[in-house]
Amino acid sequence: MEDTINFNLPKQTHDIFAVMARGNFISSNGSKDGMNRLYDVINNPENFDRLQAYFNVIRYNIERGNNFFYFSKLGEPNSELEKKLERFERYIDIIDLFASMDNKIGIGSRFRPGEISEECNANVRLKQKLQKIPLYRSETLHNKVREICDLMSRDSFLELEDEKSESYKVLDSYSYLLDIINSVAIYEDNSLGGDDTQGLVYN
Amino acid sequence: MENNCRILNRIVEINIANVKYTDLELSGNTCFVGTNNFGKTSLQRAILFFYSANSRGLGIAPSQKPFDEHYFRNENSYLIYEIRTEDKPFFVIVYRHNKLVFRFVDAEYSPDYFFNENDEALKMKDIVAGFDKRGTYISNQIDTFERYRNVLYGTETDKQLSKFYLLKGNEKYQNIPKSITNVFLSSKSSIDSRFIKDFIANSLTTENSSIKLEQVERQLRQFNEKYSDIETYLKKETQQLIEFIDRKYDQVHMLKGAQMEMADKLGSSLRYAETQNETIIKASREKEEEIEKLAEGNEEQKTHLEEKQKDIREEIGYYDKSIREANKKLKEYKDKNIDQAVEKNAEREKLQVDLNIARREYESLTSNVQSIEMKYSSLIEQLRNDKTAYVNKINSRTSEIFNHYNELQLLQKNEFNKKDNELKQKREDALTDLNAEVTSKQIEFNELKAEEKVIRNTRFYENEIKAQETELAELRAINYKNKSERAIKTNLVQTNQKEWENLEQKLKTASAHQIQKTNNEIIRIKNEIKAIEEKLNVQHNALYGYLEKNVKDWHTTIGKVVNEDLLFRTDLDPKIIADKAFSLYGVTLKLDDVQIVSKTIEEYQFEKNERNAIIRDLEESLNQFQTSNNEEKMLAADKFGKQLGELKEDLKVLNYSLELADKREKKLILEIEDWKQRASTEIEQSLSGNKQKINIIEEELAILNKKKNNLLNDFNTQFDKLKIFNDERLADLKGRQETEISELEVEKKNQVKEYEEKETKLSSEKESNFKEKGVDSKEIKRIDARIKELQEALKEIEQYSQVVNDYLKDKRDIFDKLPDFIQKKEEYVKTANDLSAELEEIARKYNIKRMELNKQKRAFDEELIEFNNGINYFTKNFRETPVYNKYVDIIERAEPKKTNYSVMDLCTQLLKNDSHFNEEYGAFQRYVNEFAGKFRLENHFNFVIRNDASQGEYERFAQNLRSFINETKIELSIAETATQIGLVTDSIATKVKELSGQKEKIQHIITLIAEDFKKAEFEESKLIEFIKIRLEDSENKVYKLLKRIQEFREENGLVYNEGLFNTDFATHKNKEISNRAVKLLEQLRSAIKEQEQEEIRLQDLFELRFNIKEGMNETGWTHKIDSIGSTGTDILVKAIIYITLLHVFIKESSHRSSTDFKVHCIIDEVGQISAHYLRELLRFAKNRNIMMINGLPNKSGLEAHYKYTYQFRREENNNVRIFPSIVTEVEA
Repeated sequence: MEDTINFNLPKQTHDIFAVMARGNFISSNGSKDGMNRLYDVINNPENFDRLQAYFNVIRYNIERGNNFFYFSKLGEPNSELEKKLERFERYIDIIDLFASMDNKIGIGSRFRPGEISEECNANVRLKQKLQKIPLYRSETLHNKVREICDLMSRDSFLELEDEKSESYKVLDSYSYLLDIINSVAIYEDNSLGGDDTQGLVYN
Repeated sequence: MENNCRILNRIVEINIANVKYTDLELSGNTCFVGTNNFGKTSLQRAILFFYSANSRGLGIAPSQKPFDEHYFRNENSYLIYEIRTEDKPFFVIVYRHNKLVFRFVDAEYSPDYFFNENDEALKMKDIVAGFDKRGTYISNQIDTFERYRNVLYGTETDKQLSKFYLLKGNEKYQNIPKSITNVFLSSKSSIDSRFIKDFIANSLTTENSSIKLEQVERQLRQFNEKYSDIETYLKKETQQLIEFIDRKYDQVHMLKGAQMEMADKLGSSLRYAETQNETIIKASREKEEEIEKLAEGNEEQKTHLEEKQKDIREEIGYYDKSIREANKKLKEYKDKNIDQAVEKNAEREKLQVDLNIARREYESLTSNVQSIEMKYSSLIEQLRNDKTAYVNKINSRTSEIFNHYNELQLLQKNEFNKKDNELKQKREDALTDLNAEVTSKQIEFNELKAEEKVIRNTRFYENEIKAQETELAELRAINYKNKSERAIKTNLVQTNQKEWENLEQKLKTASAHQIQKTNNEIIRIKNEIKAIEEKLNVQHNALYGYLEKNVKDWHTTIGKVVNEDLLFRTDLDPKIIADKAFSLYGVTLKLDDVQIVSKTIEEYQFEKNERNAIIRDLEESLNQFQTSNNEEKMLAADKFGKQLGELKEDLKVLNYSLELADKREKKLILEIEDWKQRASTEIEQSLSGNKQKINIIEEELAILNKKKNNLLNDFNTQFDKLKIFNDERLADLKGRQETEISELEVEKKNQVKEYEEKETKLSSEKESNFKEKGVDSKEIKRIDARIKELQEALKEIEQYSQVVNDYLKDKRDIFDKLPDFIQKKEEYVKTANDLSAELEEIARKYNIKRMELNKQKRAFDEELIEFNNGINYFTKNFRETPVYNKYVDIIERAEPKKTNYSVMDLCTQLLKNDSHFNEEYGAFQRYVNEFAGKFRLENHFNFVIRNDASQGEYERFAQNLRSFINETKIELSIAETATQIGLVTDSIATKVKELSGQKEKIQHIITLIAEDFKKAEFEESKLIEFIKIRLEDSENKVYKLLKRIQEFREENGLVYNEGLFNTDFATHKNKEISNRAVKLLEQLRSAIKEQEQEEIRLQDLFELRFNIKEGMNETGWTHKIDSIGSTGTDILVKAIIYITLLHVFIKESSHRSSTDFKVHCIIDEVGQISAHYLRELLRFAKNRNIMMINGLPNKSGLEAHYKYTYQFRREENNNVRIFPSIVTEVEA
């Protein structure tokens, strides 16, 4: 608190840190827990510089995305990076599924897991895509989609806007995933002979 | 004393709850003894109901049966309260008649009124009939608790009822039942300031006098949501998204329109292709037939002319040959000097005559010497004959040689001529072939040239170009019209905008003016209120207070003559001097008719309230004004916004159509250029084929000419060679002829000379003989010479006679007709030339016509091919695509119409455009989603789009958004929100003010309580040294914020927040104020959320602190006293405080004149208090005219201190019986 005063920081600094230090994003279109207010606070140029300076002291760097913010850690060990990549990998299939829907899910879209599972049920290709997504052992497609939504909400890419109707909103941070996907280059490794090894390169 | 005061004397229960009947006296301290659940508390509630007449405020838990149902189970359930008065007691009957009702009876209670002879309780109507029968007054049924209380507490105006009062209360009499209730309901053993606060507050307030936080929170939430919606809307990123959406929507709309147009064209083209197929095939066939006919006609005409031409050529050939031969012969004759020959021939006759004359002359001269003559003549003749023979021989030889050589020469010549002719023939043949080839090529060349000319004169794509040019002209006309319309509409927009702005400005000014006016008025009234408050505040210490305390009815005496200002001066030190009482400095005045100038406290209070009401009215009217102002704004926004929106939309449409028209114009110009280019390309292409052919033919012609030249050269060389050989041969022959002839001539000459010499010798001999005979030999010689000469001449003539005869014959037959031949030939040549020209013209015309027809046929064929290809392409590559399904209605319903585009092109373009459209539409959807996602799900702009929304819904969203912008709905929303913040702050401020207005009462009560504590006589027991109480500011966070909002409201007046979202420097101050308001409201909202309190009541407005010293223990200033000493002590202190509170409230709430009454203080469970303390407590209460009603679980000796003690027993039938306990009153 004292520090906050010394740095002339906004009073929401603690809240900002609490969200972003967990590896979560602060999106401008998030409404839960005053997320949009936090975004406005960080987005204020004066506040941004102060916050950046303040967080740099504890080796955090505020990264600015398209209408969202997140922390990157200065001098992060490779093991952490690997973990992050592993964490990201499961999103490839999810985004592939989302992008293949008839009603493409993009930033600001509002949907219910039921809608996705219904579409997957009706479309074999989508069903296969959904079934392919690893790490989930839900029995029904609906539950699987719910788990995906839950995961994405936890990672602050979605927001459960209305618990009653189970309506989710896609947050601005979703473009972080899209950006990463777009910067992935697929290469074929010919040096290993006939093996059709493929790999990913994150630019 | 007791007999003269009013008190609840008795309570009678008939069929109440489990009690069949009980009749209990209560006119002193009363104690109920009984174990739990025996009905002690129920009875106490029944007693409390007498005071409070509020069935809901009796502490009955919601799970329990309500009071009326539990107590009044039967039709004949009665609760009777008897009140003792100064003279005769009266009683109240409470019974249930649908609801609880009351009746007052002007008599002492008697069971006889209620029971029949069988001890059964009567029904109410029987009871009433009984009273009527007895002539006892029984009031009408009193239906409301309120009226009952009014009667009981002496404020009833009905004269018949006004005597049935327990005490005379003032306007605050409601505090009395509330206080009694609150004491009863407090069951906690510890003394918590909160409870005291509740007690005081509950006593002072009604149920409605609190700030319902749920309501405030709802208002705040509504405001906050609207504010956040607007804030989101005004964000830069959101505005950017709006722009994107607007732009993309236009693009998508345009693309869709173009696609639909194209789909319509496709449909039209397809229908057209389908309907035109047969027609085109027929048309093509007709053209083919036309071409055939044309060719036939042309061939016929050509043949006819060619035949004619052939005849003429033959004629020309004949005349040419004749002329050539005539000229040749003429030349030959000329070479033979025919003219001289003819001339000489003409002299032949004359020469013959001359010869005859000469002969006759000679004969006459020589008739004398005939023998000599004869001799010599025969000799000479002989000689001459010899000579002639010789000469003839030589001549014959010469002529032989001459003829031989001539023959040779002739042979040579013949040979030459033969060869020459052969060569010529050969040349002619070769030339004829060549010339034929050249001629055919030349014809071809001419045809091509004619074709070129036709091509150059043909306007390709004329219809297309014309159609495009017409379209362009129409487009330009529409453009011009649209531009002028746009200018008019732009002007209209500006005018409307100006009008709107003016109206807005007017409304704004009116609003500001009204606010200013109202605020000034409020300030003025507030000052008046302040003046009244100052008077009220100082009245205790001023003359006014003195008069109130010490002079009865002073208003009717001093009040008539005193200056109002004097009344509120504190420095007058008034004293009553008995002597001069009721006089003015010793002078008595008759003041009956003088008007009272002084006012009572109530009047001042009334004036203050009146002014407060005026302020409220002013604020209310300002609110109304503001509302109507806003409504007017909204109406204006609605009117102008809609108009402007429509105009802007129209302008947009116009701009769009102008833009489209511009594009179309450019496209058309390009297309026209393109068509022209295509036309010229077509010409060039046609010409290039033509030119190529021409070039080839030219080359071929050149080659042919070269060939011809070569041939001619070749032949010429051959001719030359032949001629040279011929000439050489002839020269050789001639040379040899001449040599041989000259040799013969020399020989002949020598021989002739010899003969002549011999003749000369003979002649001389003859002459000498003549001489000798005398004959003139000279004359003879002359005549002889003359004869010879003539003979020579005739001979010469004879030599050419044949030629001359031939010539003359030829001349007659040929040469004289030559001019006719030439003329005829020329005529034929001319005719031939005319025929050639005619042929050429026919060929040209035919070619043009043929080309035209071919072109038309080709066009039909091409069109047909294109149609078929288009239909095939459509069937194979388009009909199965989603694009077809998308526009199936348009395509299938299109009217057959010819368009400038092929089906294939349209299909390809539609497919291509659709992919572009999808891309653009995807972006459009993304923008809409992103935009809608920025707002709450239930935002008040209704910017919501479902994830599975259709294209139509997305488009409607964009249209609505556009209308929203055009109609500047955001301004309305801002105005509404700005008004809302004003209303919310105002509403909060009003509520807080209303509530905190009672704080003064609390302050007053607390002061009285503190004084009462001071007065308490604890000295005797020394148990409690002192009880102190003081008031502190509230620590309630929500209240603090509410207070701040009220202060903010007071400070800034009615803020209508022009600057809520305004960044204008001019309204900077307003913005700052608005921001503060918004911040305060936000803080309040989170505080309400955090605190989870339902309402802010009077007790939340202040904090109470106690300081109690019991023996050696002093609690210090605290808001909660858990344990001052033992439990008994705590109960005592608590009871003392309650009694004090009750006393204070009763004192405050009853009329000054009303002192002769007693009330009960009902405190349950005082079992743990010691006898000593109880005695102390009862005395404390007694000193304050309060009778205690307490509950004890069992008999413990304490009951001995009460006047009445009742015991409770549950009987076998579960009924409760209450009966008096036999005790001895120790002290009361």
